[in-house]
Amino acid sequence: MDRPQNSLLIVMYVDNIKIQTLADNLSDGSEIEGRSLWQDARHRFFKNKAALISLITLSLIVLFAFVGPQFSPWDYEEIDWDAMGDVQVLGAPSFASGHYFGTDDLGRDLYSRVIQGTQISLMVGLIGSFIAVVVGTLYGAIAGYLGGRIDSAMMRTVDILMAIPFMFVLILLMVMFGRSIFMIFIGIGLLSWLDMSRIIRGQTLSLKNKEFIEAAIATGVKPFTIVTRHIVPNVLGIVVVYATLLVPGMIMTESFISFLGLGVQEPQTSWGALINEGARTLQNGTLWQLLFPLFFFITTLLSFFFIGDGLRDALDPKDR
Amino acid sequence: MLNFILRRLAIAIPTILVIILFSFLLMHSAPGGPFTAERKLPPEVLANVEKKYGLDKPLYQQIGVYVKNVVTDFDFGPSFKYKNLTVNEIIASGFPVTLVYGMWSFLFATIIGVSLGVIAALKHNTWLDYLATSTAIIGSVLPNFVMAPLLVLLFTVYLNWLPGGGWEGGQWQFIIMPVIALATSYLASIARITRSSMLEVLNSNFIRTARSKGLPTHYIILHHALKPAMLPVLTSLGLSFVGMVTGSVIIDQYFSTGGIGQHFVNAALNRDYSVIMGVTILVGTLTIVFNLLVEILYAWIDPRIRY
Repeated sequence: MDRPQNSLLIVMYVDNIKIQTLADNLSDGSEIEGRSLWQDARHRFFKNKAALISLITLSLIVLFAFVGPQFSPWDYEEIDWDAMGDVQVLGAPSFASGHYFGTDDLGRDLYSRVIQGTQISLMVGLIGSFIAVVVGTLYGAIAGYLGGRIDSAMMRTVDILMAIPFMFVLILLMVMFGRSIFMIFIGIGLLSWLDMSRIIRGQTLSLKNKEFIEAAIATGVKPFTIVTRHIVPNVLGIVVVYATLLVPGMIMTESFISFLGLGVQEPQTSWGALINEGARTLQNGTLWQLLFPLFFFITTLLSFFFIGDGLRDALDPKDR
Repeated sequence: MLNFILRRLAIAIPTILVIILFSFLLMHSAPGGPFTAERKLPPEVLANVEKKYGLDKPLYQQIGVYVKNVVTDFDFGPSFKYKNLTVNEIIASGFPVTLVYGMWSFLFATIIGVSLGVIAALKHNTWLDYLATSTAIIGSVLPNFVMAPLLVLLFTVYLNWLPGGGWEGGQWQFIIMPVIALATSYLASIARITRSSMLEVLNSNFIRTARSKGLPTHYIILHHALKPAMLPVLTSLGLSFVGMVTGSVIIDQYFSTGGIGQHFVNAALNRDYSVIMGVTILVGTLTIVFNLLVEILYAWIDPRIRY
């Protein structure tokens, strides 16, 4: 919708400076460097204020997760026996006691625990999406490129897997095979690539009849190489956007499981587990136990949301 | 149309069988059975108990018997943990509760979400649009496990208006918080989808034609714009329904409503095989049936879709 303005700006810009430099460049015979698709996208992304602020916020949170422990006198599993006796008063957030965010009802330092939870939740989000992206992209691209019977068999499998109640299976996995981060990765990774594969398959279908694929086939490139060298790079834009939107989904799933007390195992923790503890101790008046983890959870999710939105606008400008 | 429904059914039924098989195999590959609990049973007692529940037969026979009972009689067998209860009884006690607040949340999320989306699209780029859009964005980062404690904090701890949990046969005070907690994130996504789809329709040529021939705005919206704009929303409604059934795991647990989710978590913790399988199969079947309904509705509403 700001296109007329933009083009006007460009026209003026071109009028004043570009023409001059263009003329100079042309006269001394050097070439003008063109902007690639990705440079264009970066340019558009950095013009989006919400996305840029979110990117900065997210970087700060990541920084906090790694540098934060340096500033705390307490370890995340260390119990402050004084605070444990009277959490409402001695466990309250204060700089004097070194518990910047207060303590939980066992007297453990909440600041350190929030950092630990942030590390775990971010890791689950990133690794979970990474698995989903790799598996989903390859699966979808192969199904779409090969087409025919193989395609319908592969997509039928996805349909069936999608009908399985994901959350219930995840809970089952956690209960059956023991609670650990590893199991969370397996469970989330196993089931999260389904959407991805569908999206990529659709994209591949529209790509595979393009001339450059035809050219590749004509020059005798093998099907798998066509998928990895020609199809996947061309769907990368959508993959990036979808992956950014996948991360909060992963974090939410992990938090969901941890909220039920089935996720990460003590003394390790995650946002979901911390929110659960805060929610259980609501009646004690130790509000900080709920609000600090909640703040990080919501801020991070919002940031990913805006970054994903910004990336979509940047990489897919026709879809405004 | 009939052909289409039959074809979808031909896919749906094998899918349900796969779900049954999948949960069955998952259950049986798990280390530790339902009777390997705290107290070690003498081997001969254990053999007797396993015989009673048919656990001594070979795996393929167990599957055969189970599938046959489920498909022909809707019989999920006895609970392994509560000796005098069948899975059907447990589901019958929990499912109505989940269904009641699930339906209310579904209605709440749909009505408010669609209205927010439509208003935002009609008042595009005004403060109303920004208000609705930011509501939708904030709502999308407030999943049920975040909403539930926040609502309790506000309505129970501070205002002391509503009870913090329980069900009491479904009196209204007990329903409000579960409904809002469950509905918020779906409301947000429905509002977002409605807004963007409505905007797209409002910018399309046939709406411009309707405007230029002088039809009143409300008539254009009700008779021309709303129906095509609702199509993408319909897809998300199917997913929302499923999500609400799943979300009930948290809601039931946190508000102690005694719904199906609470039974499921308890069963999972107790390794109560038959209850876990029963609930998983029930939810899986509901998912499939609901998606089927949405697809049929889709084909019925949109005459362009020909199967």
